[in-house]
Amino acid sequence: MAVAVPQRTQRRRESLGSAKAREAFVGYAFVALPLGFFFLFFIFPMIYAFYISRYDWGVLGPIENLGLQNYRELIDDELFRHALRNILVYTLFVVPGQMALGLLAAVIVNQKIRGRPFFRASFYFPSLASSAAIVAIFIYLLNADGLVNSILGTNTAFFADSDTALPAIMALNTWTTSGTIMLFYLAALQAIPTDVYEAAAIDASGAWRTFWKITFPLLKPGHFFVLVVSIIGCLKVFDQMYIVSGGTGGPNYSTLSVVLYMYRTAISDLRWGYAAAIGVVLFLMIFVFTLVQRLLFGRAEVS
Amino acid sequence: MAVEKEAAPHVAPIERLARGEEPVAGARGEIPGRGGGHIATRVVIYTLLLALSLLYFVPFFWSVSTSLKTIPESVQGFDLLPDHPTLDAYREVLTEFNFARYAANSALLATSVTLINLFLCSLGGYAFARLRFPGREILFMVVLATLMIPDQLRFVPVFQILSDFPHTAWNLDFPPVHYNLIGTYQGFIVIQMVLATNLFLMRQYFLTIPKDFEEAAKLDGAGYFKTYWRVMLPLAGPALAAVTILTFQGMWNDFFWSLVILQNPSHYSLTVGLSSFIGQYKTLWPQLMAASVISIIPIALLFVLAQRYFIAGVTAAGVKG
Repeated sequence: MAVAVPQRTQRRRESLGSAKAREAFVGYAFVALPLGFFFLFFIFPMIYAFYISRYDWGVLGPIENLGLQNYRELIDDELFRHALRNILVYTLFVVPGQMALGLLAAVIVNQKIRGRPFFRASFYFPSLASSAAIVAIFIYLLNADGLVNSILGTNTAFFADSDTALPAIMALNTWTTSGTIMLFYLAALQAIPTDVYEAAAIDASGAWRTFWKITFPLLKPGHFFVLVVSIIGCLKVFDQMYIVSGGTGGPNYSTLSVVLYMYRTAISDLRWGYAAAIGVVLFLMIFVFTLVQRLLFGRAEVS
Repeated sequence: MAVEKEAAPHVAPIERLARGEEPVAGARGEIPGRGGGHIATRVVIYTLLLALSLLYFVPFFWSVSTSLKTIPESVQGFDLLPDHPTLDAYREVLTEFNFARYAANSALLATSVTLINLFLCSLGGYAFARLRFPGREILFMVVLATLMIPDQLRFVPVFQILSDFPHTAWNLDFPPVHYNLIGTYQGFIVIQMVLATNLFLMRQYFLTIPKDFEEAAKLDGAGYFKTYWRVMLPLAGPALAAVTILTFQGMWNDFFWSLVILQNPSHYSLTVGLSSFIGQYKTLWPQLMAASVISIIPIALLFVLAQRYFIAGVTAAGVKG
């Protein structure tokens, strides 16, 4: 009898072992298809981009291995520097604008007010529409004889003037994206414990003071998260630039973004290796911001 | 294990949604110092609310109103409402300017990508959440890591992969078939079949489902696939809804990949069609506004029908960075 016990345990262990192997096998089988496609169309291309960026690469394939020549050329490329300057200026203005507008909308919608779901939905609405539709609407609103000009009593063709084209795109994108920023801030506002406010009420602080002394500082993780997401989004700007300028980045390259320059380099100039190098530089810029975010926060947290 | 702990905050909204709660800014009751009582505060809040609503609404209202005008009326004066509302612009845009075709293309692309993602990402997500196999954590980390990389980095490589790769790129005789997916629906669909965000959302949701359900299924003698298909999928409703909405909206509104891949006017998506219309007939305002309204309506409807999944999905997935 005493011998039978270990035997049975062993048999159970064996069947447990084969069940484990079976589970692992099924696991691999289940992830094979999704991960196979994911590897083929995401991971491999992302690595392959670095490889291509080292070549003079035409439509018919690689012509010459240039080493880092493409990157050296980028440093002195006037158009690339112009595109870089454009998106930096764009980021510098759009990020604070989005955050201020998004936070304002979030704080208001978070109040005890009538019709809150309705207002929340209406602030989020521009974020739902496609960039193409939003740009179409703004081209109409901002044309020389349009609504905005008639209100201002001016006659500016905003998108046709190299002084106003970029600011106009900044304004429309600040407006569009603030709805998404509002959602992030709402999630962050929810994470603030209510007892903090109760303490503030005992102090008889006014609403304005409560906001600046308590809510705003407590939103710090939210601010940082939104800041990084917003910067990354701005650096990747493409759709609005392309549609407004018909793909040229004009007038006078005032709406040329880095992604648009990459697109033109590949599609119009057929310099695929150089375009890949531009993509890699964009990746490095964004990667720095993402790393900062991850290092300071572990993973991104809203709450 | 480390992945699970780190990633946990991401899905709070979805988890809450699973419990049937309002995902964001749920009612909290009276909180002192937050808009209670003071009349002055109320006045300020409602004034701001009104101003902001105007700011967000006027452009859309204006575009709908213009889409119902005639061309002469659209350029003369700024009446808020059309004198003689007409659907002519919609009719013209849909027929003469081919937007019926573009809309059908967009619907086809968005629906295909969404359905494929629903199946593949729930299958993979289930395995990542529940089945133990060596290398599981590392593989999942790799998927997550791609979320830190801008999608546009794929531009040049994907273009090559879709056009007769690796024949031209590497001068190989392999594979024995030649193909070119640039300019085809398949080319667009194939590069979006498995989106990391969706894989992530599905896995996180499956992690929140109690194991009892699967154990009961196992006792009934159900295999792994049957457990996934019959037990887990029906329990994952909120996550599937979020994936559906996020993916459909993302694909319907996509501009970059549509522009790059669908180069032939017969394959244009709504967004590319709109962009090309702007380039050619900029000042046909009623038509341009009608085309914009057509592209916004389906997403607006989806939003009205499923607002809570929308907001939960954006909050959970948007955190992808």
